[in-house]
Amino acid sequence: MRTLAATLALLGLMAMGGPARADEPPPAPEHTIDTGAMAERGEFGPAITLEHIEIVGNHTTSRQVILRVLPFAIGDRMAAGDPRLRKARFKVLSLGFFRDVTMSMRRGSAHGQVVIIIGVEERGTVVLNRLWFGSSSIAPWWVGADLSERNLLGTGLSIGGGLVYASHDEVLGSRDQWAGEARLGIPSLCGGPWSLAFALAAVRGSEAYRKSGASSQSDAEHYLAFPYRRTTARASASYDITALARVSFGGRGELIDAELPVAPTRVLPDGRSVPVALHLEPGRSQVLSGFASYDRDSRADPLLPHSGSRLTIAAEVSGVFLGSSYDFASLVARYERWWPLRLPRHALGVRVSGGLILGDAPRFDWIHIADVNRMLAPRAQGLLVSTNAPLQALGTAPEKATEGELGGAASVEYVYRLFDRKHSRIYAGDLFVGAGLWGLADSAGVRTRDRALWDSLPIDLFLDAGLRIDTDIGVFELTVANTLGRVPR
Amino acid sequence: MTDARPLRGSHRRAARWRAAAFVVSLLVLAGPARGDPEKPELLRMRFFERGTQLLASTSLTKLFDSASYDQLDSGFPSTVVIRTWVYPKGEAEPISFQLIQRRVVYNLWDEIYTLELSDPSGTRTVKVKYKAEALKLLSSIDGLPVARLDKLPLLRHHVLAMVVELNPVSQETLAEVRRWLSNGSGGGLDRGGAFFGSFVSVFVNLKVPEADRVLRIRSQPFYRPEPKRQP
Repeated sequence: MRTLAATLALLGLMAMGGPARADEPPPAPEHTIDTGAMAERGEFGPAITLEHIEIVGNHTTSRQVILRVLPFAIGDRMAAGDPRLRKARFKVLSLGFFRDVTMSMRRGSAHGQVVIIIGVEERGTVVLNRLWFGSSSIAPWWVGADLSERNLLGTGLSIGGGLVYASHDEVLGSRDQWAGEARLGIPSLCGGPWSLAFALAAVRGSEAYRKSGASSQSDAEHYLAFPYRRTTARASASYDITALARVSFGGRGELIDAELPVAPTRVLPDGRSVPVALHLEPGRSQVLSGFASYDRDSRADPLLPHSGSRLTIAAEVSGVFLGSSYDFASLVARYERWWPLRLPRHALGVRVSGGLILGDAPRFDWIHIADVNRMLAPRAQGLLVSTNAPLQALGTAPEKATEGELGGAASVEYVYRLFDRKHSRIYAGDLFVGAGLWGLADSAGVRTRDRALWDSLPIDLFLDAGLRIDTDIGVFELTVANTLGRVPR
Repeated sequence: MTDARPLRGSHRRAARWRAAAFVVSLLVLAGPARGDPEKPELLRMRFFERGTQLLASTSLTKLFDSASYDQLDSGFPSTVVIRTWVYPKGEAEPISFQLIQRRVVYNLWDEIYTLELSDPSGTRTVKVKYKAEALKLLSSIDGLPVARLDKLPLLRHHVLAMVVELNPVSQETLAEVRRWLSNGSGGGLDRGGAFFGSFVSVFVNLKVPEADRVLRIRSQPFYRPEPKRQP
């Protein structure tokens, strides 16, 4: 804790101490003018007709994949100064398949007709989406990776998958766990705004639950585990409302096989024994649900944001009427917004997220404590790999739920751009410090209270600080919270 | 009775991990050195008064390198956006701001350049035959009103700052180019699925600059002299 506090204090001083650049143009209110938006408005110049579009350099990517994202088509008549002509380059770049795109033009076969030549430089489209690794008192080590190929054989299709393996330790009833997932994505169906995604996942896990001790004690001796298997299929369709906003809806089918203990109990620190609700049907059960989501992301740079916002709302409904063993509905939402501060290298971000689970949801759909407290290790493809206790900083409820039906977090982050190199392979680096409140409660905790209000509030503090680096081979993050979540405590 | 040995072992392991975490934190602190900021370049300008306005003249030909100069006759439009601020020397609050936009497109068939020049006084269209003429119209500041004289106290030093962008890209377009990064892997069991649940995400990562070229300029300090008294 002292180490964390010292680190945060140092990072804070470094971030706040960034020098003001007195010799640069001052940040007038007009500092926020989007000059690019000005340049992309209005057309001028003589009329031209697009006679043909030539594409060169696409050795694997299909011509149709490129043509379908262009904001014009062969035969279109437009002004020579139409902003769409410049924007076309960025539309092709937004596919994410090319290192560079060049545009040129030459005369066509008749006066006023032109031929547009699009030169593309293809690049590798394999993406390492995530790495999972760490150690905890219930899993001495876990490791995994998630990979995607975003342009399968030049068709524009995306395939991907992930695999996680976690060893087990001394928790009675536990076993080695693994989880795997395979995905297929069809972006821009028939060149339109629709896209499809499919996923299949399988989990062989053992879920640890507390049998004794206070919630601050995360040693393996305080846990038992039960084995389970999950097989999940998902299908979803998305529609791009605008270039930056999309709605999705789909369905999920899941089979759960769980060997639940008979009448599981927990011995509280005061010696009382209470039943433990595992929120699963014994033996085989199934989840059949429908879901919908909305996502709008206006951050100019999603990796190191200094402006813009992102809103995500997702809802899911499952019920006996769909053939499910579980009647529940869930609603989760996440919003973040970034403001550049008066000094150009500084920015402030606010993140708010929350979720509500109504009804009898399986435990894997409950909000996990690591969903709201980033100082803890999240489930890895559904596997519970850590039972680390949260930081107790506010003196609120000492016994905090690890899964809940109502949860959320709100945080503020101060970001300082350490370096920004336009012509280097390391594009930019941000130093950040942040703090926030998280809360998680189950329905019993919300309904009853046996102590003073502050002492029973299921909220606490989380802190984070570190460095994010954006490079031409990906993004790297070194943070205190991320590190703490991956080591046993 | 519980065997204490495994617990002692796990405590030692936890201590090792804590030490490793501390080292990582130190590495974070010892991270890359602060890079050189893009400092404004000093450019000599000529200032003069006309009516109620302070006017400035200078040339911005450095905005165009050979590649962007060649692009002028590509048939695709080019845009120059100029922002100017006048502020008292040593202070951060500007007393005036101007926004100017200039666009050009080359007609491949008629072999002429059409320019659209916009400033606070209005928009005018000009046609020229030669690329050098088009470049001059795009990059010269010739008697541009930069501040009202009643905002400039006599004998007080001021500075003109200027940011000139060639083909700036809108925030929305920048967001669109990198949107695939935030779509996540999709369909996963994890709720988060963002990059920063992990230490690392690796991919060939293209970053589009916010403009083809950007010039940050500041003038030499200048002041309004006292009017000459009539004898």
